[in-house]
Amino acid sequence: MELVFLLICGGVAVIASLLVIFARSTLHSALWMVLSFFMIAVVYVLLHAQFLAMLQVIVYAGAIMMFIVYAIMMLNLRHDSKVKTASKISKVIGIGALIVLFLELMLVSLGQNLTAIQGPVTDKLVATYGRMAVISNFLFSDYLLPFEVVSILLTAGVVGAVVLAKRER
Amino acid sequence: MLEYMTILIIKTLVAFAVSLLIVAYSTWIERKVLGHVQLRHGPLRVGFHGLLQPIADGIKGFFKEELIPDNADKPLFLLAPIISIGASVTLIVIVPFGDKITLFGREITLYLTDLDVGILFVLGISTIGSYGGILGGWSSGNKYGVIGGLRGSAQMISYELSLALAVIAVVMVSGSLSLIDIVNSQTGLWNIVKQPFAFVLFIICGLAELNRTPFDMPEAEAELACGFNVEYSSMKFALFFMAEYCHMFVFAALVTTLFLGGWHGPFVDGPHWFFLKSFAIIFFCVWERSTFPRLRYDQVMSFGWKILLPFGLLNILLTGLWMLVFNM
Repeated sequence: MELVFLLICGGVAVIASLLVIFARSTLHSALWMVLSFFMIAVVYVLLHAQFLAMLQVIVYAGAIMMFIVYAIMMLNLRHDSKVKTASKISKVIGIGALIVLFLELMLVSLGQNLTAIQGPVTDKLVATYGRMAVISNFLFSDYLLPFEVVSILLTAGVVGAVVLAKRER
Repeated sequence: MLEYMTILIIKTLVAFAVSLLIVAYSTWIERKVLGHVQLRHGPLRVGFHGLLQPIADGIKGFFKEELIPDNADKPLFLLAPIISIGASVTLIVIVPFGDKITLFGREITLYLTDLDVGILFVLGISTIGSYGGILGGWSSGNKYGVIGGLRGSAQMISYELSLALAVIAVVMVSGSLSLIDIVNSQTGLWNIVKQPFAFVLFIICGLAELNRTPFDMPEAEAELACGFNVEYSSMKFALFFMAEYCHMFVFAALVTTLFLGGWHGPFVDGPHWFFLKSFAIIFFCVWERSTFPRLRYDQVMSFGWKILLPFGLLNILLTGLWMLVFNM
């Protein structure tokens, strides 16, 4: 049952992400991306990572995509803008990069024995403490330093964006 | 298993029927209260004091002609109302109507599900729902529609943040993201006493999320003819309309749950307190609509970013300090 659901959601996510590239209109691309993000959130739910799923919906499908949709509407990209056909060199580079990435993925997934949950977050722990409590406990004790470092990095990014966007007076 | 499924299905049907009935009749409440505030009668002809008006409106919606503009983006035009209504009806799933009751010897919970991340689910799905209005405006190929949609998305981005900050303060004092646990943490003392500033913040941002009058930028009749739904007719328009009122009911339920103690109350705890408080909030929404004029667009934006956001952050900081000092 779960497997069927996983296959459907994963399949839809993959098809939607392909349509992001192949859709004619810019806004349609953005909407396929929303669908793809949403389906990935469903996959997270199937993996019992509810908190992650909700963050995926709020942050990616919600906030970030809303910004992108807003930008597309603001710039009024309604009519299909002419896409420059890519030059030969970039095509070769693109296909090469694709093959390398694909091989890498194959090597990683086939070369090692990937196992299910290992380490502190076990099924039992998840069932006992509830997902949210476990994640926040780890986030604010063992992984406090990386957490803070990431937040400083993000703040730096925001400040940088403001500095770049601010007009000289 | 079969018994569990049967109970679940019956519960779902009842919850959705009750909620959608409330949604239908909140349109009646709105028209009636607005009417009396403006010294009119409001709907009066269909049924006793216009009580059958929502049903008559629904039937009218079905029989109206459907128009799709020539330069509309047709798939999106059809999809937009579906997204709107789908998201807001989905939110009914997490509304906690009451605690456990015993019926025919079985213990039945008066909520459909107790999600571990309940309040985040609300924030996420309501964000998805606001795509409906935005796409509706964009896809109709009308300049007023596009401007309405643009304003809708800008307003959503601005006020969703402050809304989340108000919710975080509540989560801090309750110690859980689950709506059931939040209600249970308010036995005796409601969160409105512990978090008065978060309450005000939540009400203001909630009204902005609902696109209600002081913040009804996306459909400002006077400037945008009707904003994002200007090209919609018949049942598609009615779906947008229903989505708005469904959202209002969910908002009222959330205020009740987060701040007003949910099903707790003096004398006997139970769903009657939940409905009473929710109707009070719905009445408040109508009341303030008839009281306040619409803000200007730039005022809405600067109010959101320059006042509400710092206010929300300060509230969280003070809550944290309070909890640290008094070791809660």
